[in-house]
Amino acid sequence: MSDTVSTPVAATAAPLVKPAARTPSPVMEAFRSAIRSPKVVVGGIIVLVVTICALFAPQIAPNDPDNQDLINMLLPPMWAEGGDAQYPFGTDSLGRCIFSQMIYGARVALEVGFGAAVGAMLLGTALALLAGYFGGWIDRIISHFVDLWMSLPPVVLSLTLMVGFGTGVGNVILAIVLVDWTRFCRVVRSDVMVVARRDFVSAAKLLGFGHTRIILREILPGVAPLIITLFTLQIGIGVIVEAILSFVGMSVPADVPAWGKMIAGARNYMYQAPWGMMLPIIAIFVTVLGFNLLGEGLRVTLDPRLRKRSV
Amino acid sequence: MSVLTFDNVTVTAKIGQRRIDVLRDLSFTLGQNEIIGLVGESGAGKSMIGRTVSGLLPDNFSVTSGDVLFNGQSLLALSRTERRALLGRKIAFIPQEPLSALNPVRTIGAQFDEHLRHLGIDRARRHALMIERLEQVQLRNAAEALQRYPHELSGGQCQRVLIAMAFAGAPMLVVADEPTTALDVMTQARIVRLIAEQQAAHQTALLFITHDLRLAGHVCGNVGVMYAGDMVEYGPAGAVLKEPSHPYTRSLLAAMPQLTGPRRVLPALADNMPGIGSFATLPGCRFAPRCVVKDPVCAGTRLPQRPVGEGHWVRCSEQCAAGAALAEGALLPPPAIDMAAKEPAVAFDNVRLSYHAARGFLGLKTSQFDAVKDATFKIREGEIVGIVGESGSGKTSIGRLIVGLEQPSAGTIRIEGEDYVQDGRIIHLTRRDTQLIFQDPQSALNPRRSVLRLLTQALETGDSYQPESARRPFAENLLKDIGLPPDCLDRFPSQLSGGQRQRVNIGRALGAKPRLVVADEIVSGLDVSVQAHILNCLLDLNRQHGLTIIFISHDLAVVRYLCSRILMMHSGEIVEEGATETVFANPRHPYTKALLDAVPPENSDQPWPPVLQ
Amino acid sequence: MFKALINVAARRFVGAIPTILLLSIVVFFVLRALPADPLAMMLPPNATQADAEAVRHALGLDRSIVIQYLIWLGDALRGDLGTSISFREPVTRLIANSLPATLELSAAGLLLALVISIPGGLLLYGARGTLFENILDVLVVCMVSIPAFLWAIFLMLGFGVTLGWLPFSGRVDPGIAIPAGGTGFLLIDYFFTFQFGYWQNALSHLVLPALALALGFSPLVIRVLRSSLLEASDDHYVEVARQRGLSERQIILKHMLRNSALPTITLIGAQFGFLFGGTLLVETIFSYPGIGNLMVQAVRNHDLPLIQGIALVFCVTTLLINTVVDVLYVVLNPKLRRA
Repeated sequence: MSDTVSTPVAATAAPLVKPAARTPSPVMEAFRSAIRSPKVVVGGIIVLVVTICALFAPQIAPNDPDNQDLINMLLPPMWAEGGDAQYPFGTDSLGRCIFSQMIYGARVALEVGFGAAVGAMLLGTALALLAGYFGGWIDRIISHFVDLWMSLPPVVLSLTLMVGFGTGVGNVILAIVLVDWTRFCRVVRSDVMVVARRDFVSAAKLLGFGHTRIILREILPGVAPLIITLFTLQIGIGVIVEAILSFVGMSVPADVPAWGKMIAGARNYMYQAPWGMMLPIIAIFVTVLGFNLLGEGLRVTLDPRLRKRSV
Repeated sequence: MSVLTFDNVTVTAKIGQRRIDVLRDLSFTLGQNEIIGLVGESGAGKSMIGRTVSGLLPDNFSVTSGDVLFNGQSLLALSRTERRALLGRKIAFIPQEPLSALNPVRTIGAQFDEHLRHLGIDRARRHALMIERLEQVQLRNAAEALQRYPHELSGGQCQRVLIAMAFAGAPMLVVADEPTTALDVMTQARIVRLIAEQQAAHQTALLFITHDLRLAGHVCGNVGVMYAGDMVEYGPAGAVLKEPSHPYTRSLLAAMPQLTGPRRVLPALADNMPGIGSFATLPGCRFAPRCVVKDPVCAGTRLPQRPVGEGHWVRCSEQCAAGAALAEGALLPPPAIDMAAKEPAVAFDNVRLSYHAARGFLGLKTSQFDAVKDATFKIREGEIVGIVGESGSGKTSIGRLIVGLEQPSAGTIRIEGEDYVQDGRIIHLTRRDTQLIFQDPQSALNPRRSVLRLLTQALETGDSYQPESARRPFAENLLKDIGLPPDCLDRFPSQLSGGQRQRVNIGRALGAKPRLVVADEIVSGLDVSVQAHILNCLLDLNRQHGLTIIFISHDLAVVRYLCSRILMMHSGEIVEEGATETVFANPRHPYTKALLDAVPPENSDQPWPPVLQ
Repeated sequence: MFKALINVAARRFVGAIPTILLLSIVVFFVLRALPADPLAMMLPPNATQADAEAVRHALGLDRSIVIQYLIWLGDALRGDLGTSISFREPVTRLIANSLPATLELSAAGLLLALVISIPGGLLLYGARGTLFENILDVLVVCMVSIPAFLWAIFLMLGFGVTLGWLPFSGRVDPGIAIPAGGTGFLLIDYFFTFQFGYWQNALSHLVLPALALALGFSPLVIRVLRSSLLEASDDHYVEVARQRGLSERQIILKHMLRNSALPTITLIGAQFGFLFGGTLLVETIFSYPGIGNLMVQAVRNHDLPLIQGIALVFCVTTLLINTVVDVLYVVLNPKLRRA
């Protein structure tokens, strides 16, 4: 999982490669090495599992998560004393199946995570491209804006926005996008600036290429690996932020299951029924871990490999 | 008694599953107060030798046969700690790239002090000793320099500090690893003189590693020529330079442009020095594929050392030596200048280029820096003009002004008689008549574009737009001009060698069919034969297509080979101008004179380095 | 050097004022101008129209938004941030009572984070090339995937409830008096009034929440430290130092760490908001009376004046910290010193 050791005998006179049938493009190369990375594989599997849970929740979950079985409140998991096979991991204080809530909770987590990542990516990248490429006053304004936005701790800002917006998945996505686009913007901007300073951008200008063409054809492909990595990591962050918001009660309406909400509710019965918190905690941890592994693995394979090969 | 002996040393690298010999059967002896030069192009393995001495080989490299003796004692038998105890004390190094060789966040004084402490000198004496040593290396204001950080000194000053540190422990052996490669020509002359003085004063054995054969010829007693991990020739400097016996040494010397004598076409060898990946396919002489004499025996057999003179041997077969003389190149014809053209291709009139930087409290004040001051000159179509200067002279800025990447702060620029700005747009950019070949192909070629797409980039928009189907034939034609094989088209820059990348770089600029190209330091850092190829390529383009070339460089010999007229620049000003031969034969400006004196002459008998101010 | 420092600080200061203003505008308008009706959240269900009108007038909600903002701003500049709806006390007083607790907690959290991550980063760097590195790497990724509030729950369940080693509620045991008129920082107040028993008590209450914050923050620092050490290891000057015979240990401590400190400090500055924001849930989980806890309560109660006030304080604090980080960066980076 660590980077390969580069051979220091700098063969700038690299061997004249007799071409194979088709020499693979850098993109194909990156893809192939990505598949071979264990982080990518494990992370990918976890993400896949969680996605399946979310998509096929009605089929997978044993019970309806909203169904309040008031006779069977605070039931322990089925292997413990007093447990019931109908509720594999027990029930919460209102008699709802914990396991089913967890499965359905994946829906909210992924909707929010994915939706927010797309929004933050689009907004952040667009502004980063403009700021990094044009520089000057455009860069100053956008950077000021980013600095301004980042002066408030993200949690504080997103909570405030949710108070203003009101509950609902769409609002949560909007709140996260409005907070996290700055992180995208800042990181992508530095990369854009590095690429924009490379001579091939000046070369394109000398050919009379217009700005739009240069940004889309020359610069964007150069920062694409970084964007993909950030996107993947952002999904994990979105899951965490949603959990925080629903813990405080400012995320989704009362009838929608969400992991943070489960934790908050189970906290009141911490002494009697600690298992109520374990499942959502594990769910959050595993999901975020999956996206982090995937993102980390992609970062190592997509970016530094490409850079190293150009040496 | 010898200080350093390499006795049939072979260094092997374990890459993946393969074992590759990166240094083979290396043998030489360095005695006290002797200087030996190790000369080779990049990738020849010379820095590996330095690392073998220091024991700092990378993890997957190891010495698999032979021995390295220091003062009669085997270095390889020592433990890591024992080896380390020698470093800095008995064995010292002078590194390359002096500006990055010191920790940027600690002062010079702190680092020198640390070194002296490592040498065991007690606190009371350290400060005085530092001042004394720095004065010995002619570092002015030594006490003040100790308070400074590396980035506040010039490359030459940093190197002086490093030399002082190297000799501080009165070492028996000093390994100088390309100590002047990153420095300007004049600084190089001063530093080489300094190293020679220090060596003489301390009677140290000096191993001088460089890529410049002429430089080694002036400084060293004996010279060893490296090629792809083998030492192919070794002998007294004068003998190796005047009577080179190995075909590689001969072609190396022949391909170096000369400052004096008639201008002849430089013979350029085909292909490149093989990289590590190809070593497995070359069990015998690794130069065989490129050798003038095609003896089938050489490629398969490990050739022994064969004496050719007093202390002079060569690793080559008997047959080769006989037929290895290279034919003299034809005399170069003068460039095709279009005298009939009414307007000069480029005319500068009192052009100034200034940069402003914010300084002071809250960035309210600004300071001005003039990159180019009051430049006035004309360039005619079909000329090859050289702009010569050291870094910071403004030559790159002039190049960028010519193509339109910068706009002058004052003065006018005319392209073919017309003002460079028309209707609010810079005409270069719409007409594409002037193109720039950037120095660094790493930066100038988009790594995500294939060679085909790089060469045909100009066809993607604008007046010269052509649909995809027409682009491949266009690219194939272009490949002929730059001398690359057609199977390159689908490769990507990362899959090409340095020389090939530079040629694609040239091709990319030519793709726009310009009438004028500015070539900004495009051959610096390239191997000698690759450099010769590219220079010849430019000459062909000029002859066949009437291409006007503006060649920016710091290398006087290269400029003399290529350019009929030159502009000498110093600190943003053009200090001298005229026909190349005239300027070189009778330099008028003191800067030009000093620069000419600082270049190591071809004849190793001539005294060098000169004493420069 | 001092000139450069003052330059940096002044620049930050001047730049901070419009930032604070703009942020206060954003916060204000987000809370008032958007669909959720502030009034509806504040009134009891059986309020009459007249009651509603009375409250509306009292809070000044019948005037235009811009006027409301200017009134609020004017008051704020005089130190009056309004009255909390849920607590019925001046917002300024509520914040002043809780801010020191959060600052103390954040400082402790940052300190613990450094204690964990500097050796952690060195260890990860030292293990490079070995199998151990892969294990540590996975460990760090796992740590990154656990946000501070989950750590808080783990720690509370583990050390608090199950093992009973450390307290997990409040700043001190109930019954211990908090000294009035002090700095508000218990560790300082108790120390200088020689109440060492209480000092120890306060410290023990600080451990778990600070540890939760630290564990959430450390993996970020470990990562950046390790990657900058890796980069420094390839730097030319490190290779040259090895050629001079310096030991690996000397090189790491005397050379590489100094250089690696720079990107590490940059990261800490950039991500401080992250650490700071973590106090919201950590304080809530540990019932720790700081402004994070206060904020959560204000949000649950839709207590607009309180939310605004706390947001403003968070903003000012973060900007101050950023200024300190910038100044520190200039101190450590000689290239910036001769401005």
